[in-house]
Amino acid sequence: MTISRRVFVQSGGLAMLSLGLDPLFLARAAYGPYRHPTGASDGPVLVCLFMRGAVDGLNLIVPHGDPLYYQERPRIAIPAPDVIDLDGHFGLHPRLAALKPLWDNKSLVAIHAVGSPEATRSHFDAQDYMESGTPGVKATRDGWVNRYCQHDAEHANTPFRAVAFGPQLPRALAGSAPTLAIDDLHAFGLQVPRAAARDRLTRAFEELYAGAETGVLASSGQESFEAIRLLQQANPLQYRPADGVDYPRGHLGRSLMQIAQLIKARVGLRIAYLDATGWDTHVNQGASDGQLAGLLDDLGAALAAFATDLGERLRDVVVLTMSEFGRAVRENGSGGTDHGHATAMLVFGGGVNGGRVAGRWPTLDPAARYEGRDLAVTTDFRDLFGELLVGHLGATNLAAVFPGHSMNPASSPGVLRAT
Amino acid sequence: MLFNGTRRRASHLDMRPLLVMACLAVLGARNPDRARRDRVASVPTDTLPPRDSALHALNRLAYGPRPGEVDRVAAMGVMHWIDQQLEPERLPDRVLARREREFQLLRTDDAELAQMFQAARREQEERRRARTDGMMEPGMNDPQAGERQRVAAQLQQLVVLRAVVSERQLQEVMTDFWINHFNVYWAKGADRVYMPSYVEQVIRPRVLGKFSDLLIATAQSPAMLFYLDNWESVATGASPPAQGPRGQSQRALARQPKGPNENYARELMELHTLGVDGGYTQRDVQEVARLFTGWSIARPAQGGRFEFNEWAHDYGEKTIRGVRFPAGHGMDEGIRLLKILANDPATMHHVSRRLCARFVADEPPDGCVDAAAGAWARTNGDIRQVLRAIFQSPEFWSREARRAKVKTPLEFLISAVRAVGGDPDTTPRLAQIVTRLGQPLYLEPSPAGYPESQEDWVNSGALLQRMNTAVALAEGRLPGVSVALDGLLPATANADSLLEALDRSLLGGIISDHTRDVVRRETADVHDPAIARALVLGFALGGPEFQRQ
Repeated sequence: MTISRRVFVQSGGLAMLSLGLDPLFLARAAYGPYRHPTGASDGPVLVCLFMRGAVDGLNLIVPHGDPLYYQERPRIAIPAPDVIDLDGHFGLHPRLAALKPLWDNKSLVAIHAVGSPEATRSHFDAQDYMESGTPGVKATRDGWVNRYCQHDAEHANTPFRAVAFGPQLPRALAGSAPTLAIDDLHAFGLQVPRAAARDRLTRAFEELYAGAETGVLASSGQESFEAIRLLQQANPLQYRPADGVDYPRGHLGRSLMQIAQLIKARVGLRIAYLDATGWDTHVNQGASDGQLAGLLDDLGAALAAFATDLGERLRDVVVLTMSEFGRAVRENGSGGTDHGHATAMLVFGGGVNGGRVAGRWPTLDPAARYEGRDLAVTTDFRDLFGELLVGHLGATNLAAVFPGHSMNPASSPGVLRAT
Repeated sequence: MLFNGTRRRASHLDMRPLLVMACLAVLGARNPDRARRDRVASVPTDTLPPRDSALHALNRLAYGPRPGEVDRVAAMGVMHWIDQQLEPERLPDRVLARREREFQLLRTDDAELAQMFQAARREQEERRRARTDGMMEPGMNDPQAGERQRVAAQLQQLVVLRAVVSERQLQEVMTDFWINHFNVYWAKGADRVYMPSYVEQVIRPRVLGKFSDLLIATAQSPAMLFYLDNWESVATGASPPAQGPRGQSQRALARQPKGPNENYARELMELHTLGVDGGYTQRDVQEVARLFTGWSIARPAQGGRFEFNEWAHDYGEKTIRGVRFPAGHGMDEGIRLLKILANDPATMHHVSRRLCARFVADEPPDGCVDAAAGAWARTNGDIRQVLRAIFQSPEFWSREARRAKVKTPLEFLISAVRAVGGDPDTTPRLAQIVTRLGQPLYLEPSPAGYPESQEDWVNSGALLQRMNTAVALAEGRLPGVSVALDGLLPATANADSLLEALDRSLLGGIISDHTRDVVRRETADVHDPAIARALVLGFALGGPEFQRQ
């Protein structure tokens, strides 16, 4: 079992001590000053943002130096004057302008032509493979984030070690290691309208679980109440982002703000996971403006706000965007793009070897394309994820996280600075 | 139904008498005929009071007891009750039959559903276009999409309703088991259309039948063929006969399947039958994939049925796990393989083990697995007899097995609603709570299905949601269900009286002394009987004892 014994023993002991005492005393004992074992030090955090629906990597990181790009996309290519040039060949979509400062200070790297070796064009299968971390193997039950947690003994095991922001646990976090899905930090805990009743219930349930049981129910019960206490300390209702930071409204902005809260609250967060949806642009994708532009606007603004809000703390944080596959090189008859193969991913944060486009560029040459139509994959997503797990989080057992994939440093895209 | 009385009786006589007798003696069966016949009982290994055995059976073969049900089952004799559950076709189920008439979904076929979904999709595209062109405000309502969602939501709602109200509890438990064993992800493409018929026509009629029938039915179901991609699996180099004069678009050509797809072949052996260590190689997977080439669907976009495409089938010779499948055969060789796999010893063991993990313990003891596999071998995979063997094994009734399993979110919610005699309303809100608790119905993406182990279900977030659900139910504010506690619990603020009544008539005697102490203390200052009742009930349903079964 992967529950932290340290945490369990600590608070379990607290509850035991208080047995038989009057409720007022209990309340004080339970809500008194609390120091989490990991609270003292800042640990590394990996934020994973899944762009569900297969983002068009070619309009995200635009190969504006390639005439084929403009030939193949007469209606939806980003006009050269609009592209935010990065290195003379690639540029950012204009609506990602908010991220340019991160590029300029070398903390943002783009990886192009990244994807899965399993070339399915089904959203479901491709997302499933990217989250199980085992392309081609459908029966894998747990996700790669969960397996990282199962095999990671380095970091203290707090209830907030791996948190998904959304109503349901995504596949990547599913498995036997404890992970959390939180739709809204404000609503975490016992949901009873009146505070007095909530305290009574919290206190009673904590005792019920502490005293009556052993095993996974007891330890998870304890973790639940620890999580509530940790959050009370963090006091999410009182959170104010750093001066001048304005998160965009909506799921993405709100989730990133709550992730920033958790990071600043030092509750032991290691991996945060969130979704952004709507990238399946088959029809009327748009170019500098339009459907995709609107989504990128929100994405850029939310990520930039997050980076600014974290300030110094960004040093310990790496953000990774991912998507299940990319889109066809040539636009379709409806002003959109159909399912393709490789896409582009973004990585930014502390320790990132930024200011460049990483990964081998396969070119848009039809002969170099996958099945003659899609951008070919030159970086296996597991090599990218694996580099971040090892280099940023200090993972030691990648063979367990990505079974069946032999990682070798030569194939890693080198998105982190060598230390 | 699939079974007649003669056959049932014949196989009943096959059972190993010692176990039957031991269990009957232990469990105080009241059926005089059977008790007399089996009187030569061996010494019981573990004597259980009738109420305890009734509670155990109700927790495992059913979704927990309804008010008074522990006493009722104890009085009739638990083995008699189990026999009834094993013959659901003879159990009247009038309340459920009446409620099922509310479900339009049960009167809608695949093609109609497909039409509905296509219309909704067209609407959606139109709206997206309109929005991009600035002609329509986002968020404008689309009645068609609403209707589609409503019908789709009925599928989840039906699970909850049936589990709560059906008298044929074991049938519902086994439906859940097989749906999970032959998992299909509802949100994958055409499976949005095929899931209802998969549940109603493929799985439900066969949950207590022959395993081979179930296996063949799933293999030929459009739901499974689509989910595991077999519908696109064609012999290497095969292409469909010319389709019309215009030829195919570039997009259609790019989508053209190019060879055998191994997904179904692999999961068929790894998950549905032999098990991952059941003795097959990657080479076998490839051969099985060849053998199922051409098993497809006629126009999935329109909700078409299973079809066998001769043009797509690989008619060459295959060898699978040493068994030769000679050249020249079509769909028949697939059926032949499924029949072989269905009764392979590895399959008997693998599926028996999963059944025992469901009914006995997460890590099932060998004894009950062997008993189940033995019954399988004797009856050619008659699921009813396999279950009977499990329910008559000493391991099922052992001290170690009782209250050893943690409830899944579905089991927790349904058992809580049943415990308070709750009545689900006609909305999908109760099913949405199962989602919030972490088990969205029909929406597990992995073909392995939902796990059976407690580690996967118990974590801090999920546990808090269970407590929230319990408290809301106890206060009568859980959406989607009406609860009338007045006839069930006394109108008093006395915690001891409340706990006594609750534990006795609703929960079957599970409340620990520790819980009693805590509840007594935490309600000592509550004098309003209604508030006290809600608190005590909330603690009992949200506390650790009720998470177990």
